[in-house]
Amino acid sequence: MIDSDNAKTVESSFAQSGDGRASARVSRETISTVTVAILCVVMLLGARFISPSLGSWSQVETVLVLGSFLVVLSFGQGLVILTGGLDLSLPALITLGGILATNWIGVYDTGAWYLLPVALLICAGVGLISAIGIVWLKVPPFIMTLAMSIIVSSILLGYTKGTPRGASPDAALALMKGSVFGQPAVISFVILFVIIGWLFQSRSAIGRYLYAVGMNVDAARVAGVPVVLVQTLPYVISAVCAGLVGIMLVGYSNGATLRMGESYLLPSIAAVVIGGSSILGGSGSFLGTVGGAILLTTLGTIISAIGLEFGLRTIIEGTIVLVALLLLREEFFQKLGSLWR
Amino acid sequence: MTSVAVQIATQASPSTLELRAYGVSKSYGATVALEHADIVLRAGEVHALLGENGAGKSTLVRILTGAIVPDQGDMQLHGKPYQPQNILEARSHQVATAFQELSLVPNLSVAQNLLLPKLEKSSLGLISARKVIAKGQEILSRHGLERIDAAAIVSDLPLAERQRIEIARSLENAGRVLILDEPTASLAETDWLFAQIRKAQARGVAVLYISHRLAEVREICTVATVLRNGRTIATVGLEEASDGDIFEMMVGHPVEKIRPDARAIDGTTQKRIVVENLCSDKVDNISFELREGEILGIAALEAQGQRELFRTLAGLQTRQSGTIKIDGKPAKFNSPRDALQFESGICFLPEERKTEGILAGLSAATNVVLPLLPRIARAGFIGRDAERNAARGAAGQVDMDERYLDFAIGDLSGGNQQKALMARTLATGVKTLLLFDPTRGVDVGTKESIYAAIGAFADQGGSVLFYSSELPEIVQLADRCMVLYNGRIFQEFVGRDISEQRLVAAMIGHHNATETVLETA
Repeated sequence: MIDSDNAKTVESSFAQSGDGRASARVSRETISTVTVAILCVVMLLGARFISPSLGSWSQVETVLVLGSFLVVLSFGQGLVILTGGLDLSLPALITLGGILATNWIGVYDTGAWYLLPVALLICAGVGLISAIGIVWLKVPPFIMTLAMSIIVSSILLGYTKGTPRGASPDAALALMKGSVFGQPAVISFVILFVIIGWLFQSRSAIGRYLYAVGMNVDAARVAGVPVVLVQTLPYVISAVCAGLVGIMLVGYSNGATLRMGESYLLPSIAAVVIGGSSILGGSGSFLGTVGGAILLTTLGTIISAIGLEFGLRTIIEGTIVLVALLLLREEFFQKLGSLWR
Repeated sequence: MTSVAVQIATQASPSTLELRAYGVSKSYGATVALEHADIVLRAGEVHALLGENGAGKSTLVRILTGAIVPDQGDMQLHGKPYQPQNILEARSHQVATAFQELSLVPNLSVAQNLLLPKLEKSSLGLISARKVIAKGQEILSRHGLERIDAAAIVSDLPLAERQRIEIARSLENAGRVLILDEPTASLAETDWLFAQIRKAQARGVAVLYISHRLAEVREICTVATVLRNGRTIATVGLEEASDGDIFEMMVGHPVEKIRPDARAIDGTTQKRIVVENLCSDKVDNISFELREGEILGIAALEAQGQRELFRTLAGLQTRQSGTIKIDGKPAKFNSPRDALQFESGICFLPEERKTEGILAGLSAATNVVLPLLPRIARAGFIGRDAERNAARGAAGQVDMDERYLDFAIGDLSGGNQQKALMARTLATGVKTLLLFDPTRGVDVGTKESIYAAIGAFADQGGSVLFYSSELPEIVQLADRCMVLYNGRIFQEFVGRDISEQRLVAAMIGHHNATETVLETA
């Protein structure tokens, strides 16, 4: 009745299958990152056929400098999405960072680098207000952040009386225009930022909590995760990142405008999704997001080099977000399936 | 619907062959879920499907109901080839299932769930809410559930009621074959269920019944098929097979019963938890003490306030009045996190593994060490193998194979998930565990490991408060047992006085019942 031989073979096939499960999981997470990296290289090399000036080292440099804005921005957006939220206030916060850097610090003293952290703190305060609305008052994230966006934009309009003035702070200029080891300083800065961001998201205790909360808030709470803190933090970080991007942008373009952040909202979400994160939270990695940001920037550079109109560019970017979502549909539907149950 | 069923009953005389599956197999990539399963279900027969977690029971059920398509194998219904491609196709052959993981849509009403996918239309062709509810109520009353309001939203109902609705829906659709996957997982009493099964049996429906509770299986089933490691081991008549035989077929070796000597808990050990006049939602003025090294069981029918009592003690639910003292200090926590850190600490093992227990995408190791991450992190960062190393000890205490620690916990079997969650509570290092149905839906082997871990924890001076829907578990584990009834402590039993009969009597509200009265109860 008890067929020990058969039992053994089944057990061994179970053991193998166990290992298969682990490798399948690892590959699922890395595949998107690797694919995105390969796509970037292929696109840069392929661009040479369109125009010889593309695909050169200076082109790569341009992509990295332009991509730095999106990398920093999508780190914050990625954390918010990881915990199951969405931050639509990023454009307003970019503008807030830029206006504070020029209209306030730039007018007062362009050398006052010590005021830049204060500007970021103000951004953090805005992020905290969003978080309070979302975590404590249970306002849906997209409504709360959209409302904050409108409030901040309106305040800035009043503050600048419609025309921002003032020069970029020296520190912002040094970051965006200066060079380290013969390369633009911002490249070293972004590399450092990516390392710290990756450590934070994938290797820190708080990072683990973020994944836990994004996967299942109730289970995380039972397991002793400080849920309220962990849900609040991403909005604050995201606001600071957006403020930082604002400061970087005024360093790059020598001044602020009231609409300087507008074109960054969709790319910030797209970078996260293309990087393999689930839009529903609980999965993904920052390295994937960085890949997504670089890919989008590469694409943008090539499209503008070809001379496509802005409208057409936006259509292509929107299409890419859709395609990325379709490619991720298996995981997407799994999540939907678990919600259904 | 009933008229159809009656028709079929007349066609099929008892013991007519109904559903036959031979050599069915299913793999997911390299994972062999089912290797070679044979089963024959006959009309009017209640057939048990037995096996440990991961033996392939649920996979076989999904194949029979069309939820998944097998890689190989031959299935026949009434002598005709039967190859359902989806659940609706199986349903059109009058094969229906009540799934273990309930398949109800939580935000729809009971009636809508019962009638999906075909809702009653009004004369305008729109869905008629009134007709839907009337039809739903009719279905409910046909299956002895008149007391459930068909208009109620499913997510507002307790788990047990949801399970009954799931079963009622399958009864409604099962003209020929009814498959019940762990129907008693959240039902504390079986009277209603067994009455419905007998009714279906009388109609000539072939019933496949899956449960880990052998006593139940013996009561309702006549034949059992045992699966192990994805293969059918045997089909036996339950009259001839002893419990020992069946366990041996399930696990492949004889099971030794561990019955720890009842620990004598006298008044000399320290009081760890003192609860006085605790009132909360559904908890009505409860007072008790839990001492060092004591295992205190809670027995109750479903929804008698046990869930709320545990959640209040764990910091998940606010208390209205009363005091909870831990190590002599009045507790003032309102989150599980605070409860973990208050004095010698309290850790809660929740009832629903999937919704409140596991974090499916994280590794088993991370799941185990989640509450103590700050402790194993260096300057806030976690080394590559730090989690695995920290989880290893706790995994050993529950007999969990170390190699599972690296897998995403969602990919593990239910038994290993539960072991990991049990390991988590032990790893926290707290002195009091609140275990809510710690062995729900797990196999015999896992149960023994969890019992051993609970025993060892208490032997080292830990205190355990546990609720179980399985009385033999309380009889085996508890040093003392309190029976809850209607949110109050109804009766308390100590040591040798804890017996299934007495507990059952107290659970249904009988005081001073004698054993003879109970035999009939």
